[in-house]
Amino acid sequence: MTALIDAPIKKKRISKKNKSAWRKTDIQDVEQFLEDQRLEERVGTFKDKADDELFVVEGSTAKPALSLLSIKQKRKMNALKPMRSLQALENTSKVEDPIVKRNHVKQKKNGRNIEEEVRNPTKGRHRQANADRGRYYEKLDERLAEKEGRKLVNKTAKNLWVEEDFRDQIPGLKDEKGWVSRDLAVHIAGNVGRKVVKVHSSLHHNTTKAKKFEAPHPGMSYNPSLKAHQELLQQVVEHEEGVIKKEQHLKRVTTSMFSKVTPEERDKRRLIEMSEGIQENEGEEEAEDDEKASAAYHTVNAPVENKKKSKQARNKELKQKELQRQHELKKALKKQTADLIRIKSIRAEIKEEAEDLNELKKRRKLKAERKKFEPKRLGRHKYEEPDVDVNMPEDLAGNLRNVKTESNLLTDRFKLLQKRNILPTTVAVSRKRSKVKRYPRNSHKEPGVSFQDLRDQRRAAAAAAKANKDTIKI
Amino acid sequence: MRRPKKYEAGEATQYISRRAALRKLQLSLNDFRRLCILKGVYPREPKHRRRAQKGSSEIKILYHAKDIRFLLHESIVWTLRDYKIFARKTGRDRAIKDFRNLNRRLAMFPELKLDHIVKERYPTFIDALKDLDDCLTLLFLFSTFPSLHLIPREQSSLCRRLTIEFLHYIIASKSLRKVFISIKGYYFQAEIKGQKVTWIVPHYYPFKPQSRQEVDFKVMSIFVEFYTIMMGFTNFRLFHGLNLAYPPQFPSSVLQDSEDTLKDESSFVSDRIAALNFELLRTDKLQEDEEEPEIDMDLLEQDGDSKRIIKMKQEAQEVSRLRTLFKGLKFFINREVPREPLVIIIRSFGGKVSWDSSIFSGATFDESDETITHQIVDRPSLSTQYISRDYIQPQWLFDCVNRRQLLPTNQYFLGEQLPAHLSPFVDAKRDTYIPPEEKALHDPSLIETHVQSDDESDEEEPEEEGIDQELLDEQLQRAYQEETAEYKKYGGVDGVNEDELSDAEEASEEDDEEEEVDEKTRRLKEEKQKMSVQSGKVHKVNKRQERKAEVDEHRLKARMVKPRHRNLFRHLIRKQQTQEKEEWLLRKKRRTIDANDKEAKKTAKREARKAAAAAAAAASKLGGK
Repeated sequence: MTALIDAPIKKKRISKKNKSAWRKTDIQDVEQFLEDQRLEERVGTFKDKADDELFVVEGSTAKPALSLLSIKQKRKMNALKPMRSLQALENTSKVEDPIVKRNHVKQKKNGRNIEEEVRNPTKGRHRQANADRGRYYEKLDERLAEKEGRKLVNKTAKNLWVEEDFRDQIPGLKDEKGWVSRDLAVHIAGNVGRKVVKVHSSLHHNTTKAKKFEAPHPGMSYNPSLKAHQELLQQVVEHEEGVIKKEQHLKRVTTSMFSKVTPEERDKRRLIEMSEGIQENEGEEEAEDDEKASAAYHTVNAPVENKKKSKQARNKELKQKELQRQHELKKALKKQTADLIRIKSIRAEIKEEAEDLNELKKRRKLKAERKKFEPKRLGRHKYEEPDVDVNMPEDLAGNLRNVKTESNLLTDRFKLLQKRNILPTTVAVSRKRSKVKRYPRNSHKEPGVSFQDLRDQRRAAAAAAKANKDTIKI
Repeated sequence: MRRPKKYEAGEATQYISRRAALRKLQLSLNDFRRLCILKGVYPREPKHRRRAQKGSSEIKILYHAKDIRFLLHESIVWTLRDYKIFARKTGRDRAIKDFRNLNRRLAMFPELKLDHIVKERYPTFIDALKDLDDCLTLLFLFSTFPSLHLIPREQSSLCRRLTIEFLHYIIASKSLRKVFISIKGYYFQAEIKGQKVTWIVPHYYPFKPQSRQEVDFKVMSIFVEFYTIMMGFTNFRLFHGLNLAYPPQFPSSVLQDSEDTLKDESSFVSDRIAALNFELLRTDKLQEDEEEPEIDMDLLEQDGDSKRIIKMKQEAQEVSRLRTLFKGLKFFINREVPREPLVIIIRSFGGKVSWDSSIFSGATFDESDETITHQIVDRPSLSTQYISRDYIQPQWLFDCVNRRQLLPTNQYFLGEQLPAHLSPFVDAKRDTYIPPEEKALHDPSLIETHVQSDDESDEEEPEEEGIDQELLDEQLQRAYQEETAEYKKYGGVDGVNEDELSDAEEASEEDDEEEEVDEKTRRLKEEKQKMSVQSGKVHKVNKRQERKAEVDEHRLKARMVKPRHRNLFRHLIRKQQTQEKEEWLLRKKRRTIDANDKEAKKTAKREARKAAAAAAAAASKLGGK
């Protein structure tokens, strides 16, 4: 039995060449087996015995004794045990570490018990620490009280624009006897820790020439005169026409440049495109292969021949060149003489050119001047003029009670800041939430149609409608 | 010598990208944004973007490297870094539920001090006043906000306090000049220390939700954070300039954020308006009836006939009249009328105002008060009316302020069709052609009356005559008002002489005894007896001489101009000439059009008359037969 239970030990194989070697053979297992057989003969086998002799029926219903610890206590006890995750790191070796003082860590006895130290200080440093702590809390209380007080007192109730010299605040820098120059004072202030920083003037420069306050158009009155209102409406119409024109241009250059087809046509085209070269051309391919095999290699261009020119031809060429040169010289000379006569018109030409240049210069200057009033390009997005606020004629109430307000002041201010180059133009990006698939809980499911079902149906219908809306752009 | 590398000098070193700036300042993007807004450092557009961005041509946000270097020295950078540490530490405390430590930390929240930045950005008080437009509009807007995400309640209540303080200053100093009701909101323009400050108050003061898609609330909140500090200092200075106690003491019931006001929007608003309707505490004994030191116009007299001086004088006179426009008037505001702008206007021109005390707090007198001169209503009809007062629509107040005189109320009566509300920001006296219709809108007395004097005038319809009558009334009233205003100001009908006389009298009264007074009165009587009326002579104007003098003066002016300014002078003169010519042309055009119209009318009328006569003749003939 024991042999069965014991893990089989791997036998060491030994050469059995000699008789002496045979003697070394391990015959323990054989002997064990024989011994077991003998024991069986003496005692008898399991089969011979009745079940009653082998097993006992337990009669008592007594449960195992309850542990004295509650679950919570047990958990606490478990918590004291070393962590499972650290078990692998534990040294399970029976061999003792030859170096006794390896990684010796001074173990604190659960740290200092500060409460104990506060309650009955035993050492001088405990008393010192207690006093320090007391002082700290006193100071803290003071600070809090001061802060509360400051909340009540107006922080801005003082004259800010009083002439101040930094030299007055640092003792010893007052230049009464003329010993400390201003430069020296600046230097010292920097080293003392109160650096004097000069505000460079470019910080106050205006980046745009546009007015800070733009007077509202008289047509924006809640009860405008007819003329002013018409003018404003005209302005709005012009603005809107510009927008429409731009849109149409964009549409013409993009969308309408491409042809449109019906979905069926699109599918058909796709099928044809995808199956290009699969079925029809199989027969042809074979024929082509045959042709390829038979034809010899040849290029498209005619072969280059290295033709040598004769000496005579070369001479002729040279002569021709010389003649050509002389001809051109003659021509230039002729033109010069002709120009002498044409001098007046040349002058006019030059003048015209200069005028053109002047015109260009002027236009450029004008453009640069105009640009000074426009908002600058600070970031990725271009500043776009907001829509003009206007009340449509039917909205004009004529009295204060029924005024229809048109603009949002906050947006207005925000745009104005962008226009004055204080803020770069930005576009708000809303972070897209990842889609979460939602299921109703079984306990909340109702036999009827659920809200989610309805929503899904609605969405599916919308998607379907969108898919076969009309035509699809390719 | 080392060979200079590309982008080591010039524009590439002048600019720094935002990312590089962040790295240099060791701040997060949010902190950097805040710092930039607070310090007034804004992005720049380079002349050559490719050079400034070291070869890359995508559009980045760039700053002046100098500006960023300047920010490095700022002390609030350290506070911003402290915020990061603070957030981390308090977060930890909260997570481990160490509330004792958390409370201690919260109590020591690092405060952002902006005082020095205000001084740095606005070196003088006038600089601050110049930049008040945006500040005021934003503060007025934010004072209506409830506690929102990114906008704490403290901020909006602070805004409310500051705006009310500012309005009190405006009322006390009577510096309001122009008001305008637009569809955007109420425009107000005040003149503070010679600076024109304009702000807009939204129409529906109660909060209206704003979309977050269009506006970055965080950024605006930072602007407001700075503006509140700046406004605080400005208010202090303004109040002290007027010898008013700062901070103003409001009645205890007003401006306390109780449960009730926080819950109920209307009571919140009415509280604010109530705070506007009482007199402020003064630090000196003088009462409000004393006038502010006026510019002595006589000192500017040397150039007496100069156009500019005359204009300035007129302006000063008008303003002084405007400041006491509603003095002695008592207004009662009906409950449907938006009270806030009206209270500001009425109070800042010396009027007294009240409203229904049963609905809103802060009322000073009842509707039944018989001394009320005007009741402001904005509804078509009213059941009970008092005879002693005018029932007018709110536009009357606005138009009065813009015209700087009390207008006749008949056009603004209850249920009346209102005349157009004109923008005061369009200068009515500008030096260009103004069509007669527009002129008439600004000043009804300027309507050309020659049409009526024509022979056709008796054939005009009766309606127009009615208008004429109204016009005449208006003119009379206006003239009377002007007269009384002048009388009040100078103490006599014909100005200075009488004034001096009375002054002399007073002085003598104080010094001498009664006998001498008797003697004086006797002498005066004698003088009066000696006085007589002589027929006057018409002063003849020699046009030619005048013209010559004008030309001479112009020549002298041209000679006085320095050589380097000659081009500018020439430019100015030419501009003026073209303007005059344009105006003249337009006027001529108008005249011809008018003449044509008149001619057409005349012929039409003549024909009609002829036809009528012919018809009458035919009828008589028929009758005769």
